[in-house]
Amino acid sequence: MVMNVSLAKPKEINWPKVYTQQLFHITEVMVTDVASPPVAARIYAYSTLATYLISKEAGMGFEHQDILGQTYLAGQNWDVENPGLSSPEFAAIYAMLKVGEAIMPSGYLLKEKQQDWINTALKAKIINKKSLQVHLDYASLIAKKVMEVAKKDGYLQLSTLTRYTPQQGEGFWYPTPPAYIAAVEPEWKTIKPFFIQNLNEYEPAPMAPFDMTEGSSFHTQLMEVYTTTNELGEEKKLIANFWDCNPFKVQFSGHMAIGVKKISPGGHWIGITGIAAQKAALSFAETAYIHALVGMTLHDAFISCWKAKYETDRIRPETVINQQLDQRWRPLLQTPPFPEYTSGHSVISRASAVVLTGYFGDNFDFIDSSETYFGLPERPFPSFLYASEEAAISRLYGGIHFRDAIEEGVKQGEKIGNMVWTKVGTKK
Amino acid sequence: MNFLNKSRTVLLLTLGSFIFLTRTPPSRAQTSSPKFEKISNKKSGVTFKNQLKEDEKNNILRYEYFYNGGGVAIGDLDNDGLEDLFFTANMSSNKVYRNLGNWKFEDKTKSAGVGGKDVWTTGVSMADVNGDGLLDIYVCYSGKGSPAARGNELWINQGDFTFTDKAEAYGLADKSNSTQALFFDFDKDGDLDMYLLNHHIEVINELEFSEVKTIRHPYAGDKLYRNDNGEFIDISEQAGIKGSALGFGLGIVSSDINQDGWPDILVTNDYIEPDYLYINNGDGTFTDRMTDYFQHISHFSMGADISDVNNDGKPDIYTLDMLPEDNERQKLLYGPENYEQYALMIKEGFYHQSMRNMLQLNQGNGLFSEVGQLSNISNSDWSWSALFFDATNNGKKDLFITNGYYRDYTNRDFLKYKGDYYFKQAVANEKADTLHLVTTMTSTPIHNYMFENTGSLNFTDRSLDWGFGEKGFSSGAAYADLDNDGDLDLVVNNLNDQASIYENVSAAKNWLQITLKENSLNTYAVGAKVEVFTGDENLTLEEHPVRGFQSSVSPRLQFGLGEISTIPSIQVIWPDGSTQFLENITANQHITIEKESSERTQATGKPSPILSKSDFAPKYNPEPNQYNDFKRQPLMLTMPSYISPFLSQGDLNGDGNPELFIGGTKGQAGKIMSYENGTWKDYSGFRSSNEFTDAVAVFEDFNGDGMEDLFIGSGGYHDYLSSDESLQDRLYLNDGQGRLTRQSSFPAYTFSTGTAQAFDANGDGHLDLFVGARLIPGRYPMVPASKLLVNDGKGNFSDKTEEYLPNGGKLGLITSSELIDMNSDGKMDLILAGEFMPITVLINSGSGFENKTNSYLPTTLSGWWNTLAKADLDGDGDMDLIAGNFGLNSQFEVNENKKLRLYAADFDQNGSIDPILECFVGDKMYPYPSRDELLDQMASMRSRFTDYASYSKATMADLFTVQELEKSQILEANILESVVLENTGNGFEVKSLPRIAQSFPVFSILPIDLNQDGNMDLILGGNQTYTRIRIGLMDAGLGLVLIGDGKGNFTPLSPAESGLAIKGDIKSILPIQTSFGTHLLFGINQKPLESYTIR
Repeated sequence: MVMNVSLAKPKEINWPKVYTQQLFHITEVMVTDVASPPVAARIYAYSTLATYLISKEAGMGFEHQDILGQTYLAGQNWDVENPGLSSPEFAAIYAMLKVGEAIMPSGYLLKEKQQDWINTALKAKIINKKSLQVHLDYASLIAKKVMEVAKKDGYLQLSTLTRYTPQQGEGFWYPTPPAYIAAVEPEWKTIKPFFIQNLNEYEPAPMAPFDMTEGSSFHTQLMEVYTTTNELGEEKKLIANFWDCNPFKVQFSGHMAIGVKKISPGGHWIGITGIAAQKAALSFAETAYIHALVGMTLHDAFISCWKAKYETDRIRPETVINQQLDQRWRPLLQTPPFPEYTSGHSVISRASAVVLTGYFGDNFDFIDSSETYFGLPERPFPSFLYASEEAAISRLYGGIHFRDAIEEGVKQGEKIGNMVWTKVGTKK
Repeated sequence: MNFLNKSRTVLLLTLGSFIFLTRTPPSRAQTSSPKFEKISNKKSGVTFKNQLKEDEKNNILRYEYFYNGGGVAIGDLDNDGLEDLFFTANMSSNKVYRNLGNWKFEDKTKSAGVGGKDVWTTGVSMADVNGDGLLDIYVCYSGKGSPAARGNELWINQGDFTFTDKAEAYGLADKSNSTQALFFDFDKDGDLDMYLLNHHIEVINELEFSEVKTIRHPYAGDKLYRNDNGEFIDISEQAGIKGSALGFGLGIVSSDINQDGWPDILVTNDYIEPDYLYINNGDGTFTDRMTDYFQHISHFSMGADISDVNNDGKPDIYTLDMLPEDNERQKLLYGPENYEQYALMIKEGFYHQSMRNMLQLNQGNGLFSEVGQLSNISNSDWSWSALFFDATNNGKKDLFITNGYYRDYTNRDFLKYKGDYYFKQAVANEKADTLHLVTTMTSTPIHNYMFENTGSLNFTDRSLDWGFGEKGFSSGAAYADLDNDGDLDLVVNNLNDQASIYENVSAAKNWLQITLKENSLNTYAVGAKVEVFTGDENLTLEEHPVRGFQSSVSPRLQFGLGEISTIPSIQVIWPDGSTQFLENITANQHITIEKESSERTQATGKPSPILSKSDFAPKYNPEPNQYNDFKRQPLMLTMPSYISPFLSQGDLNGDGNPELFIGGTKGQAGKIMSYENGTWKDYSGFRSSNEFTDAVAVFEDFNGDGMEDLFIGSGGYHDYLSSDESLQDRLYLNDGQGRLTRQSSFPAYTFSTGTAQAFDANGDGHLDLFVGARLIPGRYPMVPASKLLVNDGKGNFSDKTEEYLPNGGKLGLITSSELIDMNSDGKMDLILAGEFMPITVLINSGSGFENKTNSYLPTTLSGWWNTLAKADLDGDGDMDLIAGNFGLNSQFEVNENKKLRLYAADFDQNGSIDPILECFVGDKMYPYPSRDELLDQMASMRSRFTDYASYSKATMADLFTVQELEKSQILEANILESVVLENTGNGFEVKSLPRIAQSFPVFSILPIDLNQDGNMDLILGGNQTYTRIRIGLMDAGLGLVLIGDGKGNFTPLSPAESGLAIKGDIKSILPIQTSFGTHLLFGINQKPLESYTIR
């Protein structure tokens, strides 16, 4: 990525744009590694947390309440001394790339990006050679501290837990065509959330029970998926594809199979956050603030949603339709490899949109270009909430969710978003 | 007929008596290695090349079978005694070459008129379709073009090396997407019918399209054509031939598989569709009996051959797949194991399929044991053609395999990371071009394989030393004696390269070539069977030229005779069932046998088997068990939950009628049944809970009141916690009325018990207990401490492990034990065996046990031991041992120089044990887990191996530091054979068991004199269904009877001879005496009990 335009002189630096560009390097590695949606959210949360932490430690000041004070890290003694940085911005981005390096399997790919960032910063006089090392040391230390807490959030214990086994009986989830990929992160509920203290408080309303009797809620919803997807117009197809955000869609051609990749749902909302930050021309500190806030909200929303998914363990529309209605039916989108209830995109889109609306205000219109690298056009939205509504309903058009998973998912996300914004949203 | 060689027509009396000539046995001395030499294309004039042209219109993305290659057909087209060649080219002209002799061939394509058309060309077969004595040629077409364009061709031989396409006239201009045609006389009416092998041109991967299975696809479904006086009629549907769109036929071979005189058909299918094994019903129809005959099959089946590989007269079946030989290519190929997808495959009726070549050993009576790995021919990479033929004329059929695929699609990195290309192109604002992506995919040429048949189901890889080291991409192949020197040469069709012709230059041995001649429209007697009795071997061939892949071999049959110069007897079974005998045939000639009118012979009566199935067994219907132990510890190789049912016999109420203990498993409680007045009844004096898994049960009088008590060892894995109460062993004391009461005072240790022995360990006159610990659930393979429990005589046991057992009882993952007084001091000593542990001898001093293994065993015998049994096998008065091991029918190659090593530690310090198996692949050791398995277990490895390529060469040293490995628990195995340990009085001597006994893991051994000759015989039971998907079902065991000679040597009986045929995992074998004689009860995991009586 080239940044010479935005880095002509230090004072004219478009920090939201720089931040977005550097964070995208982390997104690129996630795409390569095929980070699953919840894993991607965790990566965003901890890497952006590093930028927030440096901004905070540097005393840059924020318009809203301190984020960390509202999280499980409230009492955390980071035990670092601020060496007096000439460019906390430089250090923050460097720390973000260091966290990315440590937290992702192919994080080593960021080494090159770190060097590029150093070169760019030197050239643009963001930092001088003399103070470079102090910044790098400090940023590395902060990154290390962030990784220390990240390592204690339960992620490393996941592989010690018994793997998922599909339940016997009707209405339970089973791996779906074409690749029948195993259940993704069935024990994600054991990961420590940032804001949520009691996950049970964010449980969605009960889903419609599996019932193939005509007229039952489940059956009606099933028929809605079937008929809706069979009568999709171009606009609805576009909407479904725009919000697909499937990190790994497997395409087969005989023995040949290839994984076509996209950013995750969380990645999409991080993209929107960057677009909004640029449009609002935020300062570096505020850019770091809103990114960290959205990242951590996404992470909590995914944990809450994934808990619901594996507790309800609901069957996907594709499985029921193939078994009971139409063997050859395929959804427009490839069914993602985890249970249906609630819709992850609905939960996390709403939670993000609520926080973004709180921060940027109602009716903050924007043009979403997050998906252009994946062959999809830019899409204008009048507000974050509008976008989140569209993201939610897109799962019905895509044929991968029932309506109650979408609507209850939106409520679940709303509740999480509101909780977060209530905690941090008051202006200082 | 004019044969160049010293051939003559033989007309001999039929039904002559057998005359076995005495002769000196052939020299077994090593002779110089036989070799094949490639004849240069320049010398031979065979410049044929199957060149592909990849472009926008023609490429792998548009046509799935773009790289499958062409075929070869060999036959004497002009009856001049020289075998001529026909090649198919996918995108260019087919070629016919006339053999001029002396390795010169003339391209006669133009004048013969057989170049074909500009349509995707596939397989070729030679057969005398019109019965005029001249071989005709049938060429198949496929591809994406219009059906009208791709009608198959039938080139009728005009006799002057010219041919005319008469496909339309015969009704054979079929427009399917064809792979190859098989000509055979399925209805035995004396003319050739045709089975057309077809494939779909679009792949259906989803498992849930059961609807597709039921619909006949016009171009993808196979077809059967019946020859009605020269007109071929499609009778597929009425004959029971499947024709769904899931058919991806790649191999077709006919053979009389069930030896009922009617030709059957094997069809191999690529992808998910199972192979078809069409058994000829003799009434114009076929039934696919694949699932009855085979227990598991190749997954992506490709070419195939059917031939009697072990000279037992029964045709064995071999199917090819794509498993590579070396570690690197395997690691690039293996993805995550998906148990849900596998379960779905089973549920949807696609059967058990594993990705490797399968050798289905014909055991008779429709029973097959898959022994491809035992025979060392399971891995030959992406393989196309398989041909069994006697390359060295020594009487044993060797195996040639062609292989190679032009693009490495199945490389996991391609799936996971090539998709980045689109994203990167988008970020770079450049257009993505999928064709470019595909055509820049790597291409790995590999050598073809040649395996020497060294007898006893052993094949040795001779690819390199026999002249097949050249790397490339080969497809169809055929053999024939091209220079009439008495051995078989090879012709191979290569992709994007000139065809290869290999001259057989092996050392001269004796041979016989036979051409069959029948005075019917089936002039070459397709379907006939020829048996050559050499005196010590029966060599059998069937006249079925279509075999391998898209190819047909010469109809001339080749028998290698080794040193035999006169053949005592030859039997020809003609397609109509009549039999003709020839005697005293001189070797080293090509004879033509003409069919004589003769009497039909009836099959000789079968000897009655030793065992017969009975209805003695009590009704016992186990609940299906759903535990998947790999969900708990993903790096284990087999599931320790599945150990039931343990069977044991006692007499609790002293009424002389047996009580039978049937061990329970979690979800189904163990129970006791009584046999009275010819019926089984539930025994009321015992109740157990369905929380337990019973590993062992011992009926003994533990409190000295004269009544039998019961000790039950609790085993299993399931979801037991390491401190689970359900792991506690149990002592039940008899109240004198036959009622058993569990003793709460019994020591409450918890581990998964493997074995137990009740004996007087300390010489105080009371029965003490040794309890062998097998594992700790969730913490496999950490070694738990076994127990020595001392009895006070009243049934009160105290834990004296520290006092009595060496190493605090930590002796290994113990699965089995036996008591033998090794040093004749009147005190019982303990022999222990288990997983990744040496067979261990603990000598009893009366006050403790000392590990004296080294004094009693010549070498360390570390195995994957499942069971021990003792008996006096050699009649010398002392007890010998039989030890059941993992067997040799797996990917593991293990010996003293190639050990298995099982490392275990919490390497990543997250609280879970990481068991990593290290094994040899070739000459180097590698970690066994696939990349996905390792990364799933250890998050820290995810950044170490970011793609499959980086892991594909990794050794343990790349995974862990020396210090980490040193700190880990290391268990080893240096032997996987099941063996006999002969007690010489000074210790044990290791003796082998027959090769077939190594084809399955042995879990239960019963020594018993079955034929009442005074010598101990053995029954071995085993198998292992609960393995990693990559290992697949280990199910070659059918219950094996070994007849002892009283000297410790054993001869295996086939199921037909023994009468024993049990499919499933035999966990226990228990003889029960009743007034009606001895009954053998077989406990089979998750199946009803079976019983057999002895003849």
